Amino acid sequence: MNDLVRAQLAVPSRDELHDFYDSYFETLDSARVSEWPDFFVDDCVYQIIPRENFEAGYQLCTMQGDSKGMLIDRAQAILKTQMFAPRYCRRLYSGLRITGRRDGMITVRQTLVAIQTLIDGPSEILVCGVANDVLEIGTVGLLFKERIVVIDSEMIANSLIYPI
Amino acid sequence: MDAAAPRYWPEAQAGSIPYWIYTDKDNYLEELERVWYGPHWLYAGLEVEVPEPGSYKTTVLGARPVVISRAKDGTVHAFENRCAHRGVRICQERFGSVESFTCPYHQWNYALDGALQGVPFRRGIKGEGGMPRDFDPKANGLRKLKVECVNGAIWASFSHDMPSFREYVGETIWGRYSRVFSGKKLRIIGYNRQLVPSNWKLMLENVKDPYHAALLHVFFATFGLYRPDQKNALEMDESGAHACLTAIMPPKDAAPADGNAVATSLPGFDAGLQLADSRLIEGVRELTGTETVSVMSLFPSVILLQQLNSMQARQIVPRSVDKFELIYTHFGFEDDDEEMQARRVRHANLFGPAGFVSADDGEVLQMTQEGISPDAENASALVRMGGAEIKDATHMATESAIRGMYRYYREVMTA
Repeated sequence: MNDLVRAQLAVPSRDELHDFYDSYFETLDSARVSEWPDFFVDDCVYQIIPRENFEAGYQLCTMQGDSKGMLIDRAQAILKTQMFAPRYCRRLYSGLRITGRRDGMITVRQTLVAIQTLIDGPSEILVCGVANDVLEIGTVGLLFKERIVVIDSEMIANSLIYPI
Repeated sequence: MDAAAPRYWPEAQAGSIPYWIYTDKDNYLEELERVWYGPHWLYAGLEVEVPEPGSYKTTVLGARPVVISRAKDGTVHAFENRCAHRGVRICQERFGSVESFTCPYHQWNYALDGALQGVPFRRGIKGEGGMPRDFDPKANGLRKLKVECVNGAIWASFSHDMPSFREYVGETIWGRYSRVFSGKKLRIIGYNRQLVPSNWKLMLENVKDPYHAALLHVFFATFGLYRPDQKNALEMDESGAHACLTAIMPPKDAAPADGNAVATSLPGFDAGLQLADSRLIEGVRELTGTETVSVMSLFPSVILLQQLNSMQARQIVPRSVDKFELIYTHFGFEDDDEEMQARRVRHANLFGPAGFVSADDGEVLQMTQEGISPDAENASALVRMGGAEIKDATHMATESAIRGMYRYYREVMTA
């Protein structure tokens, strides 16, 4: 990739950015879990981390993967080995903002709410928080290099099954 | 039901547990008094959470907010987080460091050990008002708990008439405890907090029940963390209150002794599934002994679990008869290198609200509470795996430790 191409690639429009996230959230909201890892590069970092850990510099996450393979394993576990009550989950974001650019990548911040509905139950907020992402700008489009979701709602109402 | 009528309470050996003990509000309040505020050591934290003089943490023991603090002389203290004056919760932060504790309402001031040391306008203003002359600050400190620090963990009790922690858990469990808590300096990895909609006792039963591990947790057998040729042990203290489940995994390349018959017959077992990134379950041996799993349940407040390189305390905080908080404190050792820290974080994926195995437990506990609540007065659980015995076992097909816990519980609740 020459410098000119890289420079051109490094400026996704806000529409392109929104399209990327809308597609990501649509995939998750539709529970197409096996497609979730496809939004990440091989050498990626995914974290859902309680705010208290994040601010104290503790590394423990509620959900974590430090390779695309681990995200594939998470998807497999959800689909084939975990036992949980059926549920729907919708993820809403706002305040999408590019916070930095560097060498074929952009950093993006957004505020997030995930709403969970158990069968026969009312819809309830599962988590709220902020995501700090690093997106790699490739020739085929945007991919997550990092997605760090810092959750204010540290006390989880029982289980967090699906990724955010 | 007539409040005065004795409740149905079968002998524990009968393997029958009445469902009202998970749903009855009066019984729950009685438990707080007899169990949580009675002669039991409650998990209050790790010493490394209050590292320096002036360091404190807040927690909840039973239903009561408590402060754990380290005084100037280095000793650890525990006292109720409730001003002696008007009952205000004094400390709001989870962790902090102070010179002394001051109530925000009327500025009553307490030393790091909870002793009352300052009452504004105690002598009144210009000779008028103020506290009575016979008011004794020494008799009006924050209500103290008994504390014992044991190899890095802090134990507290509302009862001041307590045996040592080691006597409390007994020598068998002590052996398991001191394997993880050897005195080696610990390091906090972080916290996970989960609100589980079930009675708190179901959580303890869950970790005293080796029978469910390979059945509910398909993850274990699928990815090789349960093998039919593994060695298991279920051990209890003499009272039956505390238990420890351990497993010793044969070397990865060793051929299973009796083939894979048991694993492959497990519901959900899929021989075709492989981890894409096996670092998720690749551990290195770091503790003495060859145990790969050690799950200690120390009645009533905590589960101490070691699996692979994940070590954690799961503190139980009862919230109501049908709800409890489960607070996971993950820890490692002070001298962990970066690779070990990363490994512990990876292995922690098995546990917590999103855990590959723990999430199963939270879900099934909720389903249990939902299942038993509608007819709790008239029905009971069948806990007869392993017959009527309450004794240690070297296999997984037993519910002996659940019966053991309820033998002890019944004694405490009916004494």
